Amino acid sequence: MFQSESMPSNEPARQSTNPPQAHHRPTVLELRHVSCIYGSDRPAITDISFAAQEGEIVCLLGPSGCGKTTTLRAIAGFEPVTAGEIRLEGRLVSAPGHLIPTEQRRIGMVFQEYALFPHLRVQDNVAFGLQHLSFGERSAQVRLMLEMVGLTDLAARYPHELSGGQQQRVALARALVQKPAVLLLDEPFSNLDPDMAGKMREDLHDLLRRTKTTAVLVTHDHDEAFAMADRIAVLNNGRLEQLDTPEAVYHTPSTPFVADFVGQADFIPGTIEHGTVQTEIGTFPNQTGYPIGAQVVVMIRPDDIHIVPAEKSFAHIVARQFRGSENLYTVGLPSGQVVHSSEPSTTVYPVGTPVQLQLNATHTVLFDRDLHP
Amino acid sequence: MNQAAAVKPAFPDSLSLAALAVAGLLCLPLAYVAYMALTANAAIWSRLWTTRIPELLFNTTALALGVAAGTLVLGVSLAWLVARREFPGRQIWEWALVLPLAIPTYVLAYIYSHLLGTGGPVESAWQVLAGPGSHLLSPHSYAGVTLVMTLDTFPFVYLLARAAFLNLNVSYEEVARACGVSRAGTLFRITLPLMRPAIVAGLSLVILYVVSDFGAVSLLRYQTLTYAVYQQITGRYDPTAASILSLLLVVVALIFLVAERWFRQRSRFFQTTGRYRAPARRQCGPLAATLATIYTTGVVAASFGIPACMLAMWSVSAVSSGAVDARFFGFVWNSAFLSGLAATCAVLIGLPLAYLASRRPSRVNLLCLQAAYAGYVLPGPVGALALLAIVSNLAPFWYGTAAVLVIAYVVHFLPAGLQSMEPALQQVTPNLEEASRSLGFGTAVTLRRVTLPLVRNGFIAAWVLMFLQSMKELPATLLLRPVGFDTLAVRVWLEASEEYYQLAAPSALLIVIMTIPAILLLLSKDWRAA
Repeated sequence: MFQSESMPSNEPARQSTNPPQAHHRPTVLELRHVSCIYGSDRPAITDISFAAQEGEIVCLLGPSGCGKTTTLRAIAGFEPVTAGEIRLEGRLVSAPGHLIPTEQRRIGMVFQEYALFPHLRVQDNVAFGLQHLSFGERSAQVRLMLEMVGLTDLAARYPHELSGGQQQRVALARALVQKPAVLLLDEPFSNLDPDMAGKMREDLHDLLRRTKTTAVLVTHDHDEAFAMADRIAVLNNGRLEQLDTPEAVYHTPSTPFVADFVGQADFIPGTIEHGTVQTEIGTFPNQTGYPIGAQVVVMIRPDDIHIVPAEKSFAHIVARQFRGSENLYTVGLPSGQVVHSSEPSTTVYPVGTPVQLQLNATHTVLFDRDLHP
Repeated sequence: MNQAAAVKPAFPDSLSLAALAVAGLLCLPLAYVAYMALTANAAIWSRLWTTRIPELLFNTTALALGVAAGTLVLGVSLAWLVARREFPGRQIWEWALVLPLAIPTYVLAYIYSHLLGTGGPVESAWQVLAGPGSHLLSPHSYAGVTLVMTLDTFPFVYLLARAAFLNLNVSYEEVARACGVSRAGTLFRITLPLMRPAIVAGLSLVILYVVSDFGAVSLLRYQTLTYAVYQQITGRYDPTAASILSLLLVVVALIFLVAERWFRQRSRFFQTTGRYRAPARRQCGPLAATLATIYTTGVVAASFGIPACMLAMWSVSAVSSGAVDARFFGFVWNSAFLSGLAATCAVLIGLPLAYLASRRPSRVNLLCLQAAYAGYVLPGPVGALALLAIVSNLAPFWYGTAAVLVIAYVVHFLPAGLQSMEPALQQVTPNLEEASRSLGFGTAVTLRRVTLPLVRNGFIAAWVLMFLQSMKELPATLLLRPVGFDTLAVRVWLEASEEYYQLAAPSALLIVIMTIPAILLLLSKDWRAA
């Protein structure tokens, strides 16, 4: 019961996450200290820097208004930058006073609403950007592309005759047939129902890998980012808070915002004492360089806390939320602080049960108490 | 509580009967004209076919197509300029470009027949440049009429194209750019094709307007079907020939309407749902801004600025020579009285039709509403002809009374009013009334406190619209007015026909000034939303 298979592994798998030989691949996209600050009506971005290697999938993750779409549109050339520079395939495409038009950037774009041209058939939508090719070559490429996304049968349909998932695949095909240097995707799954989104996520990941496409994907959904990304850039208020692998972003977030945004997190106040952190729920090893006596908070995820019923315990269960694959318990501490614990789906304790907390975090994530809101 | 809906009446109630009667009455003129034309002697038909009809059909079609082409170029280019480019004064021009709608065609026609006429200011200026004896285009030619009608009607296309430019989801254009297509390519391959329904709707309005126009063609002596119908009634007293030409005119108008419907159905684009982002205006450079300013200024000046100035100048000299006297105020009163009466009747008549169609959309009720739109394809002289014939046959004692004129206005302008009344009624969902009933209020109180306040604005707009249309109406007024009962529009036309430009000006200016606020009022509703 306590060791069922569904227990999540607490081992942070940080080493196996980069795409193979990522460091030997050429850099396709590079943003250096990019700022886009216009009026108060549009989200601004400040000093964003990151790079994407060939074949890499980078996710821009953040809440609405954080500037992730602005970043994407700056890469596409729809928004000018007010500071810094953007390079595509080594070519300077955006800098203050310098803007290579979108059509000369070799980018592909998939919009949230797909923006399929309603007056063109599927095949003409896909062929739209291939005007420079001969008729035969064009139709051959379109056929190949439609085959790849599995839409050969629907080539003669109009966009409004397709389902949401099919429309998205047409939008993908239209972008990929250009063989873009980088594919930009703006919340591509938000118009699909959850089941379809999960399926499309797998298909898209597979397609991007097969075509070795470099992609930048904007999303507000951390699960989507985890599933798709090689690396995640977490944005907040127009600033880049963390750029890391999905696992690192989850397990060792660099700011309280990131910790909170990418998953459920509790922040327990504590004090540094001789290489450890003393908190209400126990002692943690201090792995960072805080001085003795410093006031900190320890970030703990529900899967780092295991609860066991114990008669004389100071903590007790306040609420239970059944989530199908797990039970999420809210545990009240004497100070009024609550922590959450994730237990297997079949582990059911009634509300009010006194419980003991067992911590099995392998690393301690500490933040300055003043930083934590 | 919902007894009325639960127990379906076996036969139509009194409201439905009233609607049926009204619809029948509204259709009567059209039906009567058709009856007269189809029962006419075959000899008259063949005479007309061999003499007048080919020329009239050609003239009418050529004028419609010429004006359509002109308004297409003017309307779409101006809409693109103000919707997609930013230049100094853009907001003023964006607004000023609808002002030509305030000038009736006969007013613009008479001003241009002065401006472009022999010895007019434009020809004098041209002769200074090109030498004496050289002539520019005559206002009394195909080109002249086309110019006048284009300047008067391009705002229809402009308004609809502007709304389409502003409403188009900019993602389509951005995707095209991301596919490697230039700005110009995107405009012609994506933006304009997607705007096609709006442009076609604007053009069909223009064509219907041109085909049924009487004022401009009569003053500029250009033979179209509408003008010929009028001449057959007044000059030759030949109602049978007039009815044949009328039927032809109605058929031409119907062909354009049906073609537009068919086209719109065929090219109805389904916008994929999702978020919408408005396109941004691009800043013009100094050269482009200058060109844009010259272009927009020129169009506004030619279509509104110069005509309005001429009217003002003439009016001043007319006033100083004592033309604005008690007789003039008599015309003002006649106009206001007739138009007010017609608008009020039309609102009262339209109410049951619109109410039944939106609340009880049975086939009969919807048909009644459609019948009310028959006036659309009934140009002024045709409606007047039908009423003349009906009244002289059935109720000769009504002949030459203001009542006949009011009926003509109602038949002709009810469609325009219905377009404003219908949405107003539709937005009042039955739930709102039921909510009031559930809070303990009776039908009468509910009507007074819920329904009427909600529909009030739509009905006021309908009233204003029909009032102004009636005030500007010319051909039916000319044909049906009681003896000596002149309106402002009639005075403008009569004085202008005699080339007393200054005497015509005060009446014309009054019409224009009264129309401007109404146009702005009606536009303001969907101006920013567009």
